[in-house]
Amino acid sequence: MSHLLVSSHQTEEEAETQHESENSVWRFRGSDTAAKASSVTMRVIVYKLFDLCSPDIKKPLLPLAHGDPSVYPCYRTSIHVENAVADVLRSGKGNSYGPAAGILPARQAVADFVNRDLTNKVTPNDVYMTVGCNQGIEVLMQALAAPNANIFLPRPSYPHYEARCVYSGLEVRKYDLLPENEWEIDLQGIEAMADENTVAMVIINPNNPCGNVYSYDHLKKVAEMARKLGIMVITDEVYSQTIFGDNPFVPMGEFGSIAPVITLGGLSKGWIVPGWRIGWIALNDPKGIFKSTGVAQSIQQNLDITPDANTLVQNALPQILEKSNKEMFAKKNSILKQNVDLVCDRLEDIPCLVCTKKPESCTYLLTKLELPLMEDIEDDMDFCMKLAAEENLVLLPGVALGLKNWARITIGVEGRMLEDALERLSRFCQRHLKKTEASLQAKYNGEI
Amino acid sequence: MGETGEAKRWNFGANEVVELSCSQNVRYFLNLLADNLDRNDTRPVIPLGHGDPSPFPSFRTDPAAVEAVCDALRSAKFNHYSTTSGLPIARKAVAEYLSRGISYQICPDDVHLTAGCHHAIDVLMSTLAVPGANILLPRPSYPMYDSRAAFSQLEIRRYDLLPEKGWEVDLDAVEALADDKTAAILVINPCNPCGNVFSRQHLQKIAETASKLGILVIADEVYKNIIFGETPFVSMAEFAETVPVMLLGSISKRWSVPGWRFGWMVTLDPHNIMKDSGLVHSLANVLNMSTDPTTFIQGAIPDILGKTKEEFFSSILETLRECSETCYEEIKKISCITCPYKPEGSMFTMAKLELSVLEDIKDDLEFCCKLAKEESLIILPGRSVGLKNWVRITFAVEPELLKDGLSRLSKFAQRHTKKQA
Repeated sequence: MSHLLVSSHQTEEEAETQHESENSVWRFRGSDTAAKASSVTMRVIVYKLFDLCSPDIKKPLLPLAHGDPSVYPCYRTSIHVENAVADVLRSGKGNSYGPAAGILPARQAVADFVNRDLTNKVTPNDVYMTVGCNQGIEVLMQALAAPNANIFLPRPSYPHYEARCVYSGLEVRKYDLLPENEWEIDLQGIEAMADENTVAMVIINPNNPCGNVYSYDHLKKVAEMARKLGIMVITDEVYSQTIFGDNPFVPMGEFGSIAPVITLGGLSKGWIVPGWRIGWIALNDPKGIFKSTGVAQSIQQNLDITPDANTLVQNALPQILEKSNKEMFAKKNSILKQNVDLVCDRLEDIPCLVCTKKPESCTYLLTKLELPLMEDIEDDMDFCMKLAAEENLVLLPGVALGLKNWARITIGVEGRMLEDALERLSRFCQRHLKKTEASLQAKYNGEI
Repeated sequence: MGETGEAKRWNFGANEVVELSCSQNVRYFLNLLADNLDRNDTRPVIPLGHGDPSPFPSFRTDPAAVEAVCDALRSAKFNHYSTTSGLPIARKAVAEYLSRGISYQICPDDVHLTAGCHHAIDVLMSTLAVPGANILLPRPSYPMYDSRAAFSQLEIRRYDLLPEKGWEVDLDAVEALADDKTAAILVINPCNPCGNVFSRQHLQKIAETASKLGILVIADEVYKNIIFGETPFVSMAEFAETVPVMLLGSISKRWSVPGWRFGWMVTLDPHNIMKDSGLVHSLANVLNMSTDPTTFIQGAIPDILGKTKEEFFSSILETLRECSETCYEEIKKISCITCPYKPEGSMFTMAKLELSVLEDIKDDLEFCCKLAKEESLIILPGRSVGLKNWVRITFAVEPELLKDGLSRLSKFAQRHTKKQA
């Protein structure tokens, strides 16, 4: 697990001002835009919290702020997935450059795989391979960037979207996911925010960080709203194979004839191989709108000048995807369900923390912080910093996701880690509970 | 625009900036030439236009490297997300590898791992593109720099490589072009597309000039150690005390594995000039939100860089030596093409077209399109790398295939040469 403990990247502490007089001789500078964009990324916040943990607290560090289940043996990917890549390696067939959009067998394999759930089928020409889903986001934002264009992102949200939008010069407008409505999309809010420069709305389904899976009816309403506003829907479905609740997954592409849809996906989460860096962009657009408006061409052109996905894994993709089925994902999903049940159960005994909707997908759990019940905790960042310093337990402060005064717990870890984490959380909350509350709590627990 | 039967207005459209940047690259021209091929020609297409010898048996990668990657994969220890700039073991291995045989010792913290050298170019051009900045690129060039610079709206100023001087940098031009907004100069050594290897003295002069102008040197050494002539390879790292250097490289060329997508960007900055200017900080920010090289490849890097036997490299260099000789000698016999300098490194050479002796061919693009159509032979028109009416020829293919290709070139040339010439 040592990779998680890499010391702070020092992006905050390093020279923040440029020493003009000494360096007037040297002409180069770095881009400021990068700083603004990067400050919103999670890595920066998480590294800061890791720095607060200490070996003096004689407890192992519990990293529950970000999501990488691949380091735990219980989540190891299926052997057939590894075999597929090993086969390609030995054949010597994955060593060459490929076309920018990806090699045809990979594009075909992705098309076949996503078509299993789609009425309007996509062809390999509608599929583009990317270096992980993150790079797919990068390419799309670059393709859509136009002077004065704005794009809708959800709040709370996976922060990479905002970073990439800022960096590409796209104006970001946030719409709310409504906690009181099981995190459904605030469609009225969207309608109020849109104008003639709005190009797209991004949805994440299954939702990171909230863990809900949107219903068919709700997604249809989203498509109808997009159509009304003349915008496309970009849907991030990277968690589509990580569902353990009862609501079935409906791909947004099903509504591609109402409003054109771009689907982002990848191997990272479903197959638990985020380090392999394989993702895809699929155009669900039976009416050919992306082609006629030139968006498809912009995506291809962006791919021509950006890094390509590893040819080794692309060549293995047909074998990987063909053999992937619900049974393969079941083991991982059942562990996640157990973990969610455990955490929700324990949280009921901690009054400072409230989980408003039990997750049915993804690998996270959002919990609201009842700050009025706490003695000396200002906000979520303060909560997480003190928690890291006092308990060597790292959670993600909601501010990193645009949701102040919530915290996100990663549940894609080993069950025993969560047991340990909940115990530490319980003790921490007890310690920081306001005195009157503490005595009430003690009464409740039968101690008085 | 829109669908049939409905006048629906959609708010999104094409991105003009990327469209303009894209017409500059090698892939664009290779696709164009492929479109010109005659489907009825049963002969195999001979590809002397791109730089990827990995499918050819003489250039096949080292089996030990394949085993190293298999081991990393099977360990299941490298499926996780990478850390920004790469896994520590891989960064350390690259630092050690690049420090061999040079006086400058590279620190792992200065090594940033990228998904191939292309990714390094992407990140670097992005980072340098502050409003109003310009960058000095060679002519001819490797066009990915041009595309990325154009896309990031970094102004490009070109200095010439001088064919009559073995493709050396025109340093007078460099001095004339630079101003107080110039951020950097790009030097590709060994040179793609020209095939020369710069001498130590010349590299020193470049470093001193850059230092005088207050600009950093981007040293693209992706063809490092791919030399087969008289001139030894000297890394720009040797001059890091004189001028700050951004060193780019990858395993793609030396191990013939461009598909594995593993490269690096190294900041050589002993006087903390790049650090104090804020450039390193910005680079870190861009890397933080950028993609990474595949983790199981990173896991194999210590073995790949540390344990590959010399015989693997020398056998490929032998093939390249043979091919470069063949290429140079055969071109000498063709009257309408002149190669001013025998290649000593990389996988390419530039040759000038004598259009005046050709019947019905007006420029390099027409030459290459007709060549593709009539002889199923692909070579790259020089305009793709910034030199109109020249061509770039790749000689890194099987020697027999190269001879065949050059013979087709010769026949084509004869057919199109003016009768009285």
